[in-house]
Amino acid sequence: MADIILLLYFGLMAILRKSWLVGLLTILQVAAFAYIHSTIPGEEGMQFMVDKLSVFMFLLINVISSIIAIYSIRYIDEEDCSVFRKKYFLSILFWFIAVMNLVVSSDNLEYFFLFFELTTLASFLFIGFRKDETSVKNAITALWMNQIGGLAILSAIFTISYNGFGEATFSNLLAHASAPGILLPLAFLCVAALIKGAQMPFSKWLLGAMVAPTPVSALLHSSTMVKIAPFIILRLSPALKDTPVASVIIGLTGFVFVTAAIAALSQDYFKRILAYSTISLLALMIMMGAVGTPISIMVALILIFFHGISKCMLFLNAGVLEKVFHLKHASDMDKIGDAGPFTSFIVIIGFMSLLLPPFGAFIGKWFSIETLGSFALQQKLLGAMVIVAIAGGGAILSLLYFKVLGILIARNGSRDTIKFEKINPFYSGTIYILLGLVLTSILSFPFLLANYFVPVASQTLGSIIEVRTEGWNLHIGTLSLSFVPLLIAFVLFPLTIIVAMFIQFKNVDRAKEYMCGEKIDYSFSSFYFTVDRAIPYFSVIGILFFVALIAVALL
Amino acid sequence: MNDLLIPVLLILLAPIIGGFIYGFERIIKARMQRRLGPPLLQPFFDFFKLADKRKMIVHSTHAFLGIMHFVSLWFALAILLLGGDLILVIFLHLLSTSLLILAGYSTRSIFSHLGANRTAISILCYEPVLILIAVSVFMITGSFDVASIFKYQEALLFKMPLAFIALLLVLPIKLKKSPFDVAEAHQELTGGVEIEFSGIFYEAIYTAKWIDYMFCYTLVYLFGANNPLLGIGLVFFVFFYINALDNSTARVNYKQMLRFSLLVALPIAFINLLLTILQSS
Amino acid sequence: MKLNFFRKKSPWILHYNAGGCNGCDIEILACLSPKYDIERFGMINTGNPKQSDILLVTGPVTKRSRERLVEIYAQMPEPKVVVSCGACACTGGVFRGMYNCEGGIDQYIPVDVYVCGCGTRPEQIIDGVIQALAILEKKSKELEQSVRLKKEPVKEGNQLNRRNIAGEIIKIA
Repeated sequence: MADIILLLYFGLMAILRKSWLVGLLTILQVAAFAYIHSTIPGEEGMQFMVDKLSVFMFLLINVISSIIAIYSIRYIDEEDCSVFRKKYFLSILFWFIAVMNLVVSSDNLEYFFLFFELTTLASFLFIGFRKDETSVKNAITALWMNQIGGLAILSAIFTISYNGFGEATFSNLLAHASAPGILLPLAFLCVAALIKGAQMPFSKWLLGAMVAPTPVSALLHSSTMVKIAPFIILRLSPALKDTPVASVIIGLTGFVFVTAAIAALSQDYFKRILAYSTISLLALMIMMGAVGTPISIMVALILIFFHGISKCMLFLNAGVLEKVFHLKHASDMDKIGDAGPFTSFIVIIGFMSLLLPPFGAFIGKWFSIETLGSFALQQKLLGAMVIVAIAGGGAILSLLYFKVLGILIARNGSRDTIKFEKINPFYSGTIYILLGLVLTSILSFPFLLANYFVPVASQTLGSIIEVRTEGWNLHIGTLSLSFVPLLIAFVLFPLTIIVAMFIQFKNVDRAKEYMCGEKIDYSFSSFYFTVDRAIPYFSVIGILFFVALIAVALL
Repeated sequence: MNDLLIPVLLILLAPIIGGFIYGFERIIKARMQRRLGPPLLQPFFDFFKLADKRKMIVHSTHAFLGIMHFVSLWFALAILLLGGDLILVIFLHLLSTSLLILAGYSTRSIFSHLGANRTAISILCYEPVLILIAVSVFMITGSFDVASIFKYQEALLFKMPLAFIALLLVLPIKLKKSPFDVAEAHQELTGGVEIEFSGIFYEAIYTAKWIDYMFCYTLVYLFGANNPLLGIGLVFFVFFYINALDNSTARVNYKQMLRFSLLVALPIAFINLLLTILQSS
Repeated sequence: MKLNFFRKKSPWILHYNAGGCNGCDIEILACLSPKYDIERFGMINTGNPKQSDILLVTGPVTKRSRERLVEIYAQMPEPKVVVSCGACACTGGVFRGMYNCEGGIDQYIPVDVYVCGCGTRPEQIIDGVIQALAILEKKSKELEQSVRLKKEPVKEGNQLNRRNIAGEIIKIA
């Protein structure tokens, strides 16, 4: 029933905004939906499956959403619109959190489609919140791209019942994991996941979504909604393992990992840089879900969790930059090192937490290279190319982070003491909470790994992963992680940055920067970016991959 | 316990051994140019002289990050020598270089900023190749640990010769030697990132260079791990090769460096990876 | 522990041309070449005042170069010595009395060794530098300033703020 109302709303939007794409897709969806309803016997009630993976996603979604909700109370207050619109924003935010919780716990594919499309609706409403021309255009783009994903889910339901597998639920799909012809519904569900995760060629909607208010960018488009993509792949991973569909997905996500990083090097708009880096890391998570070995499932979970926290912190910081300092473009952020030391400090920690030991996202990348090593032993050429992609993409991402940091941390030497600037406690409080989460999660990482991630991974995979500690090492399956280097790396990295902010050397002279003897005070900071001419080619290659995905499933 | 003695000694004496390598290198460079060259202990004389200068910094964050660059590079070398995970070691080296880059970006000096930009680009040049070499090691010995290379019965040089060639192509970028020393172009950028350091703080960067030499030569030694003579022979060969290359080539600009490493060194490492995968299955 | 001994074992040079004709500069660079090879004394030509001990100055001080000369001298950490190479740097040389030149660098910065010659020979430069090293070994680490500055460095506790000490120069008539 609710589906019909939803689809009618989409049709209304199509007519109002005069978008033929949305109209076409809505008609297709209505047709598919009607056909399914008429041919498939209905069930008695909603079917939910709440297993450990859902609980894991609950933790991530609800913790991050509550922090963002607190942040957005203050953020939306400073926004330039009527009081009604402000309350409307907050209410849609809470409604979205509810829908998100339902998405990760629904078993029945039809209700999954409903909640999927409800998140699309939330995205559409949020992106168009500011009601100017770009926002409306980007909202329509997001709408039709995600509608293709919804259509893919409907096709999956259709092919399940057409091939006679019985009910359209996740558990049913997994139960028939090795039946012939199972690949087609799996492929359609993976297409839906890839679209939601904004992989090439469907990355335009996520980039356009950055015109939305920043709490939306933080919540939907980096920490929670786009995480539906690896979530679907993880749910399906026991069935996907070692199939041709998995190989095509691995190839596509390896390609996207590199090209999203390259495309990020050409951006000036700060939130778009963050969006492209999200797309890259999502590609890595999906790849790990598709590889399907015990270690790789664990890596996907680690990456989902830590990337969510770090990206949320970075986006909240981008919101502070937007509202307090009125800066959107990275090339304007010249004076932040002096005027806003707290902001630049958080950006350093945020970016470096995606890159360096001992942070969680680094451990994900580390283990992903290791598990791809064993993967390459079976799938030789694909494995080798994907390893090159991960190595190259990782290096390009590190270049990207340093490039952005370069303009943000330059400080004039004339004043040695750093005083953190005063920001509204809603902003700084939430950012401090996230920073605390980042730092404590490193310290408790072995404990988290053994008692939390491994059981979730075991249940998702369907087999037990053994964990044992041996002195200072933790052995998981065939992998061993030693604590001592990570502890020392913790001292070396985050603590170094914190100490470097506050340290003052006494009894040491202060001199000017070297400028070949000029006596003027010369202050320099720069940010380079060039327009990337290769982006359209990336989209074409992406479309080829998608076609290959469906083709491979059909054969 | 005996097993740990040599690595621990090497780690504790790393700056001293690195200093001797650097001093020897200056003599070799001078002799190649038909000069006499400084005495062998010159790096240590530099060390004590720098310790005796009046202390002067631009601001404390910059100086502190420089010191931590040295400490973290020493730590990366320690993990390498104690037989840790090879990918972790490469990323710890990345951590120390990123501390140097952050130090370079944190002052408002033009040369420091440009040097940090170029150092970041040179990371893009050498890191994928090193990771591919590490994965090739995994394919052959079955584990990412450095300790397993020593347990393997054959020297790695014969099993993956292309990886050694890729390492040779990428080592000048890592060590900041001609033709790939854009990051520290002395005539262009007066030292790049090192420019604002002085006195004892410059000493940290200077000693970090010695430790970087030890790090790279240890990576070379791993190719002949089981046979100490082969390992030391390889180290001497690479030492003379790097210095001959340094003395006889001019500097290329950063775009040419990128093009070289992504179109020549990376495909060689990739072909090597494919060959090792085919070999081990 | 007295580390003075090492000051003369590893002197690093900074070479500055205060408006000269480049004759003495070529001779200084010839010192680095294989024939005269000052690197055997451990000398490196750094381009950076923060890392050097000896300032080799050539050229009579033109009006454009005097502030930069003082600025570079101020950015060198103590202990430091100045060697003025060539007749122009010592007294103004052939350009003494001209409208655009001051007469020699000792009007601006304290000089330790004067090396004469119009086009000084590399052997003379090496001799002068070796004598400067003997002086360097005995110097203290107190602040040495240019002789004609209006400003004093700002003292904060036990440390000096030398960011702007080369700011203003007292004019001569």
